Parts: sequence; structure tokens; C-alpha cells
Amino acid sequence: MGLLKWFSSPRPTVHKLPSGSFTVDRHGKVMTGTVAADCPAAVLDDIAKEVLSVFREARAAQMPLAEVSLDFAGIKISARDMQGGAIIFLLPKNPLATAEAKT
Amino acid sequence: MEAKHKILVLDDDADWLDMCRDFLAQLPSQPEIRTAATGVRALSMLDATQFRILICDLKMPRMDGLQVLSIVRRRFPELRTVVLTGLQDDQFRSRAYALGVDLFWLKSDMQQDSKLFLDCIESLLGRGDAGGFRDAQAKNLLDVIQMECLAGNSSVLRINSGPQIGKIWFHHGELIDAAAEGADGDAAFRRILKWKSGTFESLPAEPERARTMTKSLESLLSESEEIGEKDTAPGSIEELAHQKYVEQLAAIAVAGAEFVVSAPAKKELAAKSWGTKNTEQVASWTRHVQKSAQRLGEMLSAGPLTHVSGHNVERHLLLLPQSDKTYVVGWPAEAMPGHLFEQSKNLTKSWDS
Repeated sequence: MGLLKWFSSPRPTVHKLPSGSFTVDRHGKVMTGTVAADCPAAVLDDIAKEVLSVFREARAAQMPLAEVSLDFAGIKISARDMQGGAIIFLLPKNPLATAEAKT
Repeated sequence: MEAKHKILVLDDDADWLDMCRDFLAQLPSQPEIRTAATGVRALSMLDATQFRILICDLKMPRMDGLQVLSIVRRRFPELRTVVLTGLQDDQFRSRAYALGVDLFWLKSDMQQDSKLFLDCIESLLGRGDAGGFRDAQAKNLLDVIQMECLAGNSSVLRINSGPQIGKIWFHHGELIDAAAEGADGDAAFRRILKWKSGTFESLPAEPERARTMTKSLESLLSESEEIGEKDTAPGSIEELAHQKYVEQLAAIAVAGAEFVVSAPAKKELAAKSWGTKNTEQVASWTRHVQKSAQRLGEMLSAGPLTHVSGHNVERHLLLLPQSDKTYVVGWPAEAMPGHLFEQSKNLTKSWDS
């Protein structure tokens, strides 16, 4: 039995990079989305918070942006300003790429 | 059939450009009039087509007229330049003349004395055909000086080399005076001989000019040669920095970009910019984006940030993170977004080297 327990020890959790799109209001509240349910809501909240702050700071710097894209090695996060809110697209570069979500 | 001369008018006011186009159409030689609303656009047009005269406003957003003139003076030394501005400050007048402009007119004067303005422009259009050294740029400066001496001429040779202007006075083929960079006489002559490039223009003689130089051309040249061998030091740090700044502005214009901002990661270090006055605001936003991207990258384990792009109706922005700074490159709205990452990388590749 001990041997079986050894084989069934928990594997490290592997998460896919989130993929899909979602909309947020001006307060960062997620409204609708197509991101898989296994992506923790807190991750989407954090993405929304950072993206909205990029738009907000751009307005403060006198150069309001209609769209912004953050291009990482593993994922592209694109966002379009929607009257203070945003529609955010999560586009993993390689859909099979994995990442451990630190929530 | 002889091709018409071309005049480029640069001003950020579209109505003024329309007015200028109609107004300059009255010139007797009927030159072709083209217009540009930004310095970058003007420089790309100058690259593509040979113009005779550039008429340039001074107060413009992003790249102002003085910046454009600095680039023009180096890249198109044969181009005649006219400043046409609403700025009445004498400081701008002297700075423009220091950059070697041919004429400085206030817009109000131009409207009040339109005939004189047209006469001046017509004269500039025709002056190249009337002789002088403007068209003899392929010749070495020394050749021109020797020609003046051998021909026994009495004249004043005006030499423009970038922002520097020098003059050499001849009287019956003898060098009698020179002035450049605040020096006069022999010292000024030696300084002028060190200039690597420029444009020459022969002005009417000034017989009343006091004589400060008594040595022959040959002895001055041999002295210059001796001094030149000893003094091979390059220009001052400020001169080199200015030259590099102008070259970088030119590189931005050639690439078709609008501006570059270099925002150091450390907030206490000053950001640098080329082609925009909005430096600190852009730098502050850039640092914010970097921090947001860092948090997102760590949270998602998304790997390093390669770049950030953004756009609005006026322009595209591209942020290129480096180890200790981020470059922000502004592109016009009509630029092709798909190529901007590579173009921005190419533009900033050797920016700080």
C-alpha cells in the first residue's frame, strides 16, 4: 500500500495560460467572458486591474489610447478601451504552453 | 523644357498652408508649391524630391522649426531656407540665422509687404543660377579660396557649415580678414579650414573692411597644416553631443517616425527625448506600463515582455524594454502597425552607442 501511495503522490498543478476574451467595467469588475472556467477569477481581476491602469495612466499623460497590447514571450494581452472599461483578449502564443497561476 | 523649381512650405496650420500656396502661385517663375504639416513629413518630402526653397514655420508641435532647420542644414546644404513665423522674439531670429537660414520673415510683415516678400523669394529661386559658389559644392573649400586669390577677386566668401557661419574677405586677390566662431583674422581662417563640409556663397566686396590678415595664403596654409597635425582632437563634447542629437533626429525622420523617448528604469534619472516635448509624461507612463507588465508577467509566468504597443487616432506607440531603460517610439497613425516592432527595433538599435 505504501508503494501505491508513493506512486499516487500529488503531481504539481499545471495550468494552461488563460485564453479567450472578457469585458470589464470601469471599476474592473468582470462582466462577460469566454475564458475557460478553470482560470481563477482572481487572475482575470488582476489582469483587468493592470490593463485599466495602463489606459488610465495614458490618459493622465495626455495621450489617451484606444488599444494597447502587451506582448510577452508566452502570451499577448490585447485590450480595447470601452468608455473607461475594456474588452480584453488573452492570446497565448502557444496554446499548449503552460504556466502556474500564482493566485 | 526646363523643370520648374519647387518650394516646400512647412506649417502646422492647414489654413495658412492653403493661403501660402495661393500666395506663392503669384511668383513670376511659377514654381511648384508643395506643403507639409509636420517636420517629419517635410523631411521625408525633401528626401524624395529636390526642392529649391524650404519655407518653414518655427512654432510647431513635436519637431519645431529650429529642429527641422538643424537637420536640413546638414542633410540638404544646397537648400535655400526661409523662416516664416509669427514669433517676434529676436532670440528666435538670431537662432534661425545661426542655423544659416537665408531669410527670416514675420507672418505679419509678409502680409503687409507681400510684394517685397515675393521679390525676395523670387530672388532666392534665381540666385543659384546667377553664379556664386552655391553650386560649386563639389569643389574643396581650399580650391574656392585659391580661385578667389588667383583671380584677384574682391569679394566676401560666406561659408555655412551646419550651424556655423564663417566669412572670408578678399581684396584684389588677397586675404584681408576672416571671421568664424567668435574669432577673427588668422585664427578664424584656420577654424574655417577645419570644417569638413558646407556651402559657399560669394557676397559683394566690402572694400572698407579693415585688414587684419597680412600673411600670404601659402604661409597661412602651411601654418594650418602644422597646427592641424598637432591638433587632431575632435570637437568638444557638447558639439559631438549636439551632432549626435541632430543625427538621431534625422534618423527618426528618415524612418518616418514622430519621436523617440528613452525612459530610464530609475525614476531619479532624467528621460531623454527626440522630437517631442512631452518627455516626462511619456516617461512616467512608460514606467507605469513596465511595472504593470512585470506584475502580469510574474502572475502568469508569461515569460519576458518583448514589447508593448498602443494606438489612438493620432499615432501608434511602441515600447521596447531594455535592461535599464525603455524606448518609446511614436509613429504616425497611417503607419503600418504590423511592421512597427521591427522598425522601432531597427531605429533604436544603436541609439545610445
